[in-house]
Amino acid sequence: MFGKACFIRAFEGALARAYDAGEVPGLVHLCTGAEVAEVALADALDPAVDQVTGSHRSHGLVLAMGADPLAVAKEILGRIGGLSDGLAGTQHLIAPENGFLTSNGIVGAQVPLAAGAALTAKVKGAGGVGVAVFGDGAANQGAVLESMNLAVALELPVLFVMENNGFGQSTASTYASGSTSFTQRAASFGLVAMQADGFNHIESQQVFAQAVKKARKNTPVFVEISVPRLDGHYYGDDISYMPEAHMKDTYDDPLHVMRQFLEESGTSASVLESIMLKQQARAVQVVAEASSAIKTGPLEIKAWHQSLEAVRG
Amino acid sequence: MVSCQTTISEAINQALHVEMAADDKVICIGEDIAGGAGVDGSEGIGGVFGVTMGLAQKFGRARVIDTPISETSFVGMAIGASMTGLKPVVEIMFCDFIGVCFDQILNQAAKVRFLSNGRINMPLVIRTTMGAGDGSGAMHSASLHGLLASVPGLTVACPSNAADAAGLLRAGLRSPDPMILLEHKGLYGKSSDAVDEWPVAVIGEGRFVSRGDDITIVAVGAMVRVAEAAAKKLALEGINVEIIDPRTINPLDLKIIISSVEKTGRLIVVDEGPNYIGFADGVISAVTQSCFDVLNAAPRSICPLSTPVPYAAMAEAAWLPSLDQIIEAANTMMSENYGK
Repeated sequence: MFGKACFIRAFEGALARAYDAGEVPGLVHLCTGAEVAEVALADALDPAVDQVTGSHRSHGLVLAMGADPLAVAKEILGRIGGLSDGLAGTQHLIAPENGFLTSNGIVGAQVPLAAGAALTAKVKGAGGVGVAVFGDGAANQGAVLESMNLAVALELPVLFVMENNGFGQSTASTYASGSTSFTQRAASFGLVAMQADGFNHIESQQVFAQAVKKARKNTPVFVEISVPRLDGHYYGDDISYMPEAHMKDTYDDPLHVMRQFLEESGTSASVLESIMLKQQARAVQVVAEASSAIKTGPLEIKAWHQSLEAVRG
Repeated sequence: MVSCQTTISEAINQALHVEMAADDKVICIGEDIAGGAGVDGSEGIGGVFGVTMGLAQKFGRARVIDTPISETSFVGMAIGASMTGLKPVVEIMFCDFIGVCFDQILNQAAKVRFLSNGRINMPLVIRTTMGAGDGSGAMHSASLHGLLASVPGLTVACPSNAADAAGLLRAGLRSPDPMILLEHKGLYGKSSDAVDEWPVAVIGEGRFVSRGDDITIVAVGAMVRVAEAAAKKLALEGINVEIIDPRTINPLDLKIIISSVEKTGRLIVVDEGPNYIGFADGVISAVTQSCFDVLNAAPRSICPLSTPVPYAAMAEAAWLPSLDQIIEAANTMMSENYGK
């Protein structure tokens, strides 16, 4: 789990360097700070029967679910061989074969889709769950609130996971939400509402395991997990609006906290260091390989034009 | 072929029965489509127009799902279910309500197949009603087929008769792209020829409603009957009208329209959508770009006044395209001979 989280952190770092080098077509929203929480969630899921939907900030989730990092990197860099051959990009990562149904460019829109995955699981009786991962920024979207109600009304096997990083773009969640107790809000819809400390990987694992177990029995569950957002809304964002304490203080970093915990529990510092270095090297190599792949171009989009052309004469 | 008549509403109902019986993956989702959910001993209502009558009794409420009034969540759920292997038929009571859940249609349903680079198909039919003429007022009478057809990735169909309604619904469940099936409220009770087994329609294939050499009229939905009535009157004046019902708005069968205009040199589009940047403008643009040189008269669009649909009966009738407008346009066009 530590190795996976280290890989995601390093992957995001390597992407930031690729962005600096002009290799990324648009903006990237990095998941730094949420890696441990996302690996803990993936740990509780079975990619063979479960499907996760995520927000625009889903690099970590899709990797945690087990998608091929090279295909993910190529997609984010807009290259042939990406998950969708570079046509979809960073905000639309799709890897259903790994239990990651889709991420989304519209805040909160992925949440009803997870209800759909849950409905399929229920109708087919395959025992799967639909998992909607979203941020506190999406918490006030109608799509999210409606889906919470629908899940309870139709008894869907859904898990709602709200990563509370305190910000919707540059706006504090304490400002944006009328009631800042998200668990109370979820409970009032009739959901089982739980909280997890995203700085505590063991607690996170336990809460997710318990939540998934309930959801599998058609009891929809809501989990609020606190995570820091260690970078801006997107990489290169002017983060002057964020208080100093929020900016890359190692004590505010769940990955650092996890590493210290593992060290205190008996894993030697050198072993942990070597895991981290190995994952860093792997991530750098993956992103470098993706950077050298062929860029998606006119041929790929023209093929789609033929398929979707409206006027056929 | 059997020689009996049936209504659009019965035809769709029969097609839904056929599909649900043949494939466990077909499910129905919507408000009051079974009806009486949560009411002990209720028989249900089978949809506000009765189109989904009997489905819950036959296939159970696990596959015929009544939802809260919550379009964004249940349309989104249907999309997610389609992405993961079901074939949902989801009902939005009136197409005006698409405004409530447009993100799920515009950004999710329409884009998934493209964004997945063809890895995820979306067999999904969104059934909804369209059209004015029954005093339902501005928020229950719109015709949004042109608006929806402008979104790449959506199949948009407007059946004008029972066989097309059933056949297009069945085609939508076999298509990789989501279909919006716009059922005209004013046609639900109208009868047309019944067809055994309701064969699956070909998406993007129009049909000739009548044949003639003088003027081509393109119309869909309820406007096909208006065009037919106009053609009868014009025939008495010796003007022979060829009526084409493209059946789907996106994709549009331009081939059949061009083949007719090449013969007649004259084109009228009668439509219930807006008179500016709507279906009529789209057809006229495509035709003038393809065969400008064969036109003998400037193409005409006959569309409603550019206001929301009015409520009072006489105002609503004045708002809708009329038989007289078609006849007047046809007569004017017959006197124009640009190409000759």
